[in-house]
Amino acid sequence: MGSIEKQRSIIDFTLASLLRRKGKNAAFLAVYTLVVFSLASVMFFSQALRKEAVALLADAPELVVQRMVAGRHDLIPLSYVEKIRDIRGVRAVRGRLWGYYYDSLSGANYTLLVPEGFTWGAGNIAVGQGVARSSMAVKGDVMPFRTYDGRLARLRVAGVLPSSTELVSSDLILLSAEDFRILFGVPRRVATDLSVEVANPAEISTIARKIAMMLPDTRPIAREEILRTYDAVFNWRSGILLLILSGALLAFIIFAWDKAAGLSSEERKEIGILKAIGWDTGDVLAMKLWEGASVSLTAFLAGVILAYLHVFTTSAILFEPVLKGWSVLYPKFRLTPYIDLAQLAALFFLTVVPYAVATIIPAWRAATVDPDAVMRG
Amino acid sequence: MIFHPDVIALLTGSLLTGAMLIYAAFFALMILRRWDLASGSELQVSLERRTYLIATFMAFVCTFQMLSLFLFIKTADGLSVLFSGAMCAAGTLNLNGFGYPTLIMKLLTFVLAGLWLIVNHTDNQGYDYPLIRVKYRLLLATAPLLVIEAALQTGYFLSFQPNVITSCCGSLFGAEGNGAAATLNDLPVFPLLLALVVALALIVASGIYFIWYGRCGDLFAAFVIVLTEVVVQWGFFFAPKSHCDILFSTAARSIAQTVAAAPVFPLLTALAIAFALTLACGGYLLGYGRGGGLFAAFSTATLAWGCIALISAISVYIYALPTHHCPFCILHREYGYIGYILWGTLLCGGVAGLGVGALQPFRGIDSLTTALPAIQRRLTRTAMIFYGAFGGVTLWQIMISKLI
Amino acid sequence: MIELLNVHKTFNQGKPNEHVAIRDVTLAIASRRITVLKGPSGSGKTTLLSILGGMARPTAGRILLFGREITSLPERFLTEIRRGTFGFIFQHFNLVMGISVLENVMLPAYPRGESHLLLRQRALALLKMFGLAARSAAPVEGLSGGEMQRVAIARALINDPQVIIADEPTAHLDTGLSAEFMEQMARLREEGKTIIMASHDPLVCEAAIVNRVVEMRDGRLSAAGVLP
Repeated sequence: MGSIEKQRSIIDFTLASLLRRKGKNAAFLAVYTLVVFSLASVMFFSQALRKEAVALLADAPELVVQRMVAGRHDLIPLSYVEKIRDIRGVRAVRGRLWGYYYDSLSGANYTLLVPEGFTWGAGNIAVGQGVARSSMAVKGDVMPFRTYDGRLARLRVAGVLPSSTELVSSDLILLSAEDFRILFGVPRRVATDLSVEVANPAEISTIARKIAMMLPDTRPIAREEILRTYDAVFNWRSGILLLILSGALLAFIIFAWDKAAGLSSEERKEIGILKAIGWDTGDVLAMKLWEGASVSLTAFLAGVILAYLHVFTTSAILFEPVLKGWSVLYPKFRLTPYIDLAQLAALFFLTVVPYAVATIIPAWRAATVDPDAVMRG
Repeated sequence: MIFHPDVIALLTGSLLTGAMLIYAAFFALMILRRWDLASGSELQVSLERRTYLIATFMAFVCTFQMLSLFLFIKTADGLSVLFSGAMCAAGTLNLNGFGYPTLIMKLLTFVLAGLWLIVNHTDNQGYDYPLIRVKYRLLLATAPLLVIEAALQTGYFLSFQPNVITSCCGSLFGAEGNGAAATLNDLPVFPLLLALVVALALIVASGIYFIWYGRCGDLFAAFVIVLTEVVVQWGFFFAPKSHCDILFSTAARSIAQTVAAAPVFPLLTALAIAFALTLACGGYLLGYGRGGGLFAAFSTATLAWGCIALISAISVYIYALPTHHCPFCILHREYGYIGYILWGTLLCGGVAGLGVGALQPFRGIDSLTTALPAIQRRLTRTAMIFYGAFGGVTLWQIMISKLI
Repeated sequence: MIELLNVHKTFNQGKPNEHVAIRDVTLAIASRRITVLKGPSGSGKTTLLSILGGMARPTAGRILLFGREITSLPERFLTEIRRGTFGFIFQHFNLVMGISVLENVMLPAYPRGESHLLLRQRALALLKMFGLAARSAAPVEGLSGGEMQRVAIARALINDPQVIIADEPTAHLDTGLSAEFMEQMARLREEGKTIIMASHDPLVCEAAIVNRVVEMRDGRLSAAGVLP
């Protein structure tokens, strides 16, 4: 078909002329790629983290019941377990024991948790990778802990949690219920909070309301709410970051516009010649638009691929200083790769579309150069 | 306000396309007033040059609207997690009065932009710019609709209040929903439906009159404003619902209910008839070169029945669940993204068919005697291919459905 | 075959630097002849050439090409006609730098959408005709003046036009090359082409092969003598 051949010839010419001005175009391409890379990294990272959180929370109990005293979270009496278990629709209720321990030696905050079915026995603990690193403990070592009443407790490291779980277990220490109570002085009749399993998801809010009415000093938290809050936080955070990056984006767009509008006399002459020998405005416009399209496509692909590698193979190594902060226990994690079309479309809208809009008018101005001027030499 | 990247992307995109079209509208006015092909004055030359720019703008607008249509639905789908009870895009779109109107306007502006590109292409084939006035009147009609859509979309996203844990003292959400407004039973459904239909009819009629004859532009503008009002009211009357199932299931009463509650078999038969008529008429048009208007009419009927059928009948087969009528869940991964194919082919076929109809009144123009029928034939073929694909995929889905 | 009727051309209409380049020109260019527009610089010959060649639109008046009115044709159609009917040779050759000789020759045909292979063959055949086949892949910067001239002529011929328009073709050539150029033009006339040239070089204006000299001054025609 004639028009396909025509476009092919125009594209050939466009690519050749882009390569002819390598230097000028290379610098611009690098900046464009960097912009796409930054935005894409932020988006991929936050979405991947979000997906991890969602996957994790899938195993969380449908309801968690906490006791509030004077607006603050307090320990919950285990006598509530019976009362809650009696509510129709509740499958199981379990008291959970967990808390935070500050280790003055390493300056790190550990999360201590008594899991269901702790197999190592009293006196033993399992630690996460971050804990092992900061306390320089290995399997078999004995870690000292200071109990609530100032005594020394020695707990043996029976195992180190696998690094594949590091994103959630980095600062985690698993221990037995007895050791927990000895360490923190939590009496037998109370727990940190209660986990409630509900058979039918549609009943969760009803049961939550019943619990709140029956035990007015408690607040039930549904898993869905946690999910939603996490989701909102992740979206909010990545959105804020994008807005901050928008300054850079705007500068890039102005740069792009300036470059496109600043037609060198050489380029102007070339276009004049083209029009004089038989190209019409539409053809020159097509050439300019293909120019923009090929630059955009290259930068978009390069930026997305680099961002993918950055986030999923190096675990967002460039964001580490920002995210780490004061954290001593920054986890070494490997995120599960996740990208979908919606993300790419959003990226496209944020980078390629503004570029395209910024360069339409300069492209058109270039295309409407008067061939008459060429005739006059 | 939700700072979701997709939301920021959509708002940015809308802003840019709106700006482009307003810029284009100003030139449209100048072109309509000062265009004079016979004069060789510098003004005329610069106007002719400017038409290249406007055509490029419109091509961008059409592409953006199509992309943003899908991104909008995808975003609404993704955001459904943040609202208790919203399980897919249908629920999110129902959260406030702006959701569905935005979707409708996006569809409308996409169709109009597509039609503009068809008319523009035809105009370029004539050596005396025969359709220039028609083209720019169409642009003037599209511009305010796009601006309205951008405004609606902004309003939609800005009024979000996700049900997140904000207070540490209580965090109970449930079937109460998140807002006031009338419940389903209080909806004054019939009067509202009537008002909407009348407003749409007036707009279409006056719009066509304005575009073809160039008069009564202010009347058209007035009707656009009326439509906006009605649509916004309609949106507010739809109470924020908790479950998209309630919206689209057959139990409750609402306008979508009427559609969803339609019996499956007669609906599919009606669709099949419209489909067959369209194909037959298309064949006649290709073979004998007549019947363009009829083809456009049948094609639009197929488009309308196709949309209704997708909601009430075809989706049912895909989900294999008689009460699940949501038109957006078929866009999900678990259904193989089949929704994109179905909606995509239906819309593209619809635009092509409408294009045939849009060009029909201009068959008599001298400079287009050879070009216009050729373009119409190409559009007919395109429409038939897309509709054929739609029909084929639908049939395939019904046949492999677990419902049978 | 090209008729100009009462053509005016004004630049910067309505502005303080308004300039009337062509005033009320009525002219008929015969086919298969060599016509020369003669006049000093500023006489409007270049403007007249661009109007004749469909590159510019007159502010007033009419142009007919083979009896068909092309005055108010949209640029799209005008350029299509121009591509197929006219071949231009410019004063400074105006070859595109940075690409090869062959590509330069092929350029005017790109928008026609013909098969790349066929186009290449045609271009190579033309270059062979001018003895430049060996230099087809060479970049144009490295060519001598005479070679560039021949490339320019080859480029003008790629679309097999009926009319060749040349603006001051001998301005940068020595006597020998100028004579060669005029011979080339004569040969093209024998093949059935129409040649229109603008020049104030006596070598061109007084050449024996020229059929008609049209004199211009201040945008008007002063004499329209026909030489046998």
